[in-house]
Amino acid sequence: MNRKMISYILGMVCRAEGLLLLLPCLASLYFREHEGYHYLLTAGIALFISLILARKKPDNTMIFLREGCIATALSWIVMSLIGCLPFVMTGEITNFVDALFETISGFTTTGGSILSDVEALSKTSLLWRSFTHWIGGMGVLVFVLAVVPLSGGSNINLMRAESPGPSVGKLVPKLSDTAKILYFIYFLMTIAEMIFLAIGHMPAFDNICISFGTAGTGGFAILNTGLATYTPYQQWVVTIFMILFGVNFNFYHFLLIRRFKKAFMMSEVRTYFIVIILSGLVIAINTYNTAEGVSATIRNSFFTVGSIITTTGYSTVDFNLWPSLSKVILVFLMFSGACAGSTGGGIKISRLRILTKSVFREVNKYYHPRSVKKIKEDGEVLDEETVRSVGVYMCTFAVIFAISLFIVSFEGRSFETNFTAVAACINNIGPGLSDVGPTGNFGSFSIPSKIVLMIDMLAGRLELYPLILLLNPSVYIDRAGEVRAHFRKRRRLHKQDR
Amino acid sequence: MKIASKNPLNIIIVGCGNVGTTLVAELSKEGNNVTVIDRDEEAVSTITGTYDVMGFHGNGASYGLLKEAGIDDTDLFIAVTESDEMNLLCCTVAGRIKECSTIARVRDPEYSRELNYLQERLGLTMIINPEFETASEMLKILSMPAALEVNTFFKGFAEIVKIKVEPKSLLDGITILDFSKKTKGAVLFAAIERDDTVSIARGDFRFREGDIVSFVAPRRGTKERLKLLGLPDDTIHDCLIVGGSESAFYLAKSLSASGIKVTIIEKDEKRCNELSSLLPDCIIINADGSDENILREEGLLSTDAFVPQTGMDEENIILTLHAKRFSEAKVVTKINRAFFSDVVKSLDLGSVIFPRIITSEAIVAYARARRASKDSNIESLYHLYGGRVEAIEFLIRNESRITNVPLKDLRLDNGVLIALIERDGDYIFPGGNDCLLVNDSVMIVTTNFGYGDILDILDEE
Repeated sequence: MNRKMISYILGMVCRAEGLLLLLPCLASLYFREHEGYHYLLTAGIALFISLILARKKPDNTMIFLREGCIATALSWIVMSLIGCLPFVMTGEITNFVDALFETISGFTTTGGSILSDVEALSKTSLLWRSFTHWIGGMGVLVFVLAVVPLSGGSNINLMRAESPGPSVGKLVPKLSDTAKILYFIYFLMTIAEMIFLAIGHMPAFDNICISFGTAGTGGFAILNTGLATYTPYQQWVVTIFMILFGVNFNFYHFLLIRRFKKAFMMSEVRTYFIVIILSGLVIAINTYNTAEGVSATIRNSFFTVGSIITTTGYSTVDFNLWPSLSKVILVFLMFSGACAGSTGGGIKISRLRILTKSVFREVNKYYHPRSVKKIKEDGEVLDEETVRSVGVYMCTFAVIFAISLFIVSFEGRSFETNFTAVAACINNIGPGLSDVGPTGNFGSFSIPSKIVLMIDMLAGRLELYPLILLLNPSVYIDRAGEVRAHFRKRRRLHKQDR
Repeated sequence: MKIASKNPLNIIIVGCGNVGTTLVAELSKEGNNVTVIDRDEEAVSTITGTYDVMGFHGNGASYGLLKEAGIDDTDLFIAVTESDEMNLLCCTVAGRIKECSTIARVRDPEYSRELNYLQERLGLTMIINPEFETASEMLKILSMPAALEVNTFFKGFAEIVKIKVEPKSLLDGITILDFSKKTKGAVLFAAIERDDTVSIARGDFRFREGDIVSFVAPRRGTKERLKLLGLPDDTIHDCLIVGGSESAFYLAKSLSASGIKVTIIEKDEKRCNELSSLLPDCIIINADGSDENILREEGLLSTDAFVPQTGMDEENIILTLHAKRFSEAKVVTKINRAFFSDVVKSLDLGSVIFPRIITSEAIVAYARARRASKDSNIESLYHLYGGRVEAIEFLIRNESRITNVPLKDLRLDNGVLIALIERDGDYIFPGGNDCLLVNDSVMIVTTNFGYGDILDILDEE
């Protein structure tokens, strides 16, 4: 285990966060708020930690998949621990666990809040909350890979651990260039959304926060009413951009390098759009009432579908009051999630496609027991390893879900609340149904439940395994063996000297 | 790493074998954008997991796959799969899609006679034949048995020779400065390896037994310098080769052409028949070369040179160790795979040849020259001391900051030595008052990496 390299990567992540924390500092200067000092102090702490951890680049920079996963999981935990400090220091969230929940919810782009009155927060804190979505959406390690020259090919293992999807590849030969392209697309689309919202006369501060939340598919709103009070134009802009950020970023890369045919042939993206259109229409018909009018119904229906399938979690209406058919569709969309390689969470459309195909293959085996059939995606044969890992991913997902549901159930709330609370966290959505619906929040849960939900959020964002790996005792016990080996070597050198 | 900062090349490499992997390592280390293609998915994923490159699996000669892999932006296309025909086909297809430099590996001796024709007709930039290159490296060492390694520059007219300081020899315990005074500066030392660290030679360095020292000499003067260093300058009269590989064939052919008696021991009868018809002057023995008694019977104890060339690296190493123990022969070992290099190094095998490194040196030199400015040209490049020292030959094409300035006024990077200048057929060991002129060829030896242009050796901080 290359501990020095893990600590170096953690240090780099702290450094990145320290620099990113300067954005809310600038905002506080502009709004003349005192909270800025706390953010500045936190930035200082982050940079200090990075100085300790990344003092010197280790000689051996080789990391394997396990180091990549552990470094990623630890990075996200450390990042959240640092990121929640300002909330505690400013006293805006008094309880440490609550502050941590809010920050993890931000970084994992969940968007589920423990606050009942977000408008009471300072502008600085509101901006930081939304900015955590933007940082977490594309992933902070991808950011580190883009700006820090970590040479060596083994760093693909960092990206594998952080980027969502069944198989992670590069867009261009060099990892740092791939990371730069991803951030370039991300940045460009965020700016585009800001421009479109500005055209619709959204106030600048709301514009920035909402755009950050959309880009990372996060979902922290800055008004207690969610997005309900914004104009229809603004809501449509947010709807479209939510859906666009849920598309696999490979699609945009293909567009950028002008390989349009390849882009539009991506079956995952096609399925994604078909699912959105179908669910949007069914919900619109199901929720139609004459009082609201056709256009508002369609708008609310597509906004909600886009918000849930991309796991953003913004709301314009209280969908908790919708008929149960619509709610069931929404629960399905919660689990399906967006495309692999996007900023969205959930199980991912591509995994579901592969699973469906393997189910058909299995059925076919009953007719022709000796048949050989390979599963294809986009005209390419998937290797059995990917198919197998998708199956195992689903099982792991179900097990974690079941355990979390069991623990949360001790709260004594309704089944709908418990089920959708866990679903909303593990799929990084934010709002669920019933008590945790769009008008509710997670504030009233007990501390053990909150801890379980925090773990679920991280597990969901990092695609389960990096976090589970941390529970593996050999990650820590291994240390004893290294110490023994160290002393053996010293004894030997000592003997040689004599 | 000076070159890493400017114009990286887009390179496609087809084939992820020994040579392919070495090329990926070297070329991606220098900051190029490398894409690999191989039929074997496992091999591709191993390489993309280890190096910062992109991988595709499939047929490297397929138009669709090449398009996918980005042939349209490619500067350099290299085909090093197992099959010669496949390599030629890949390069031909790639060259038709995009005007890029193409390099193919072709090993079959039947093609080797027609390489120029193939290269010209198929529009290839370079054809490399690692087996042939390996054999010529071996030949250089065998013709100078006192040396561990010999690399040639200036089209064969100058050499860097690596030797080991033996206990109680002339060099043991003397400083470079004192030695130079004694011999009136006839020998120019380039680099020294001691205790796993390599440094560029400096006047106050004191030699010790076990040091691996390299010196530079014009070709005609090498033997006389060996004498000055107190080393034997005898030549070999017979040579025993185990294993009838392609490189064994090339080696045997050139050895017997210069009148040396060659014996080849080969296990496979069919191959023996082939070799016997190709090499009428050599003795071909059909037997297992890893059998001690056979080796003794064929004169291992009395032979001047012994070259194990079986396909198995482990077997070659064992044979070398055996020969070192029981005979006085000069032994040259060939090691194909990059494995356990530290252990292999500690074994004291004497002269070792790595075919994959020989191949990659030529291609890395070419890639660097492509990236460099037009002030100078890399003519040849060698990795010495296990890749820790580079020796590069530049041809100076234009006037620049470095020309017409006395060397003592140039601020050179640390770890750079201007070793030899070739001017109109003369070889100059440069002193402080010499200048570099246009059309000079310059050989530099350095512990820094990535020099692509003669201007890079200046310290520009």
